[in-house]
Amino acid sequence: MNNRIREYRARYRLTQEDLAKKVNVRRETIVFLEKNKYNPSLRLAYDIAKVFGSKIEEIFIFDQETD
Amino acid sequence: MKKALIIFIVAALVIATSILWFMSFSEKLRLTDLVTAGVLILVVGFALFIGFKKMSSAKRGEPVEDEMSKKVMRKTASYSYYISLYLWLAIMYFSDKMDFETHVFIGGGILGMALVFTVCWLIFNFRGVRNE
Repeated sequence: MNNRIREYRARYRLTQEDLAKKVNVRRETIVFLEKNKYNPSLRLAYDIAKVFGSKIEEIFIFDQETD
Repeated sequence: MKKALIIFIVAALVIATSILWFMSFSEKLRLTDLVTAGVLILVVGFALFIGFKKMSSAKRGEPVEDEMSKKVMRKTASYSYYISLYLWLAIMYFSDKMDFETHVFIGGGILGMALVFTVCWLIFNFRGVRNE
């Protein structure tokens, strides 16, 4: 699964720490999400999408080959 | 913060016990004692690292644990369990071949389990856990 968190974060001028606080996770989790080293739970994906005012599928792109 | 405090207390107890153990030596240290001390330092260092990590998260106003850290811990626990089974199997095999006292084997096994857990945690924490 790929994601566009970094792109959306830049658009909303949020730091990794800001986003982490908004979705109640550690900054490290945001770092791993952006590097595609961690796939979030549906709840976390929903919370992130809600922060950016977008749909989950706009931020998280499911790639059958890599998953 | 409470969890970090527990980690520090346990680490302090291990350090205190190790110091007492070292002070009880009347003869020269053997290689096995030095290896044991090395593994102990590594495991205590790992515990302190985790403790400081949790404390700094709490200071920044972040949760001490979140879904990723829980997932890393779950995966570490399951992998280290399986590896530890093989470790004990190896210890049982070598206990017949080598002339060591029982408490050395048991102590080695316990320290080995701690070491396996540490290595697994380091791998999963820095490599990340993707869905399989």
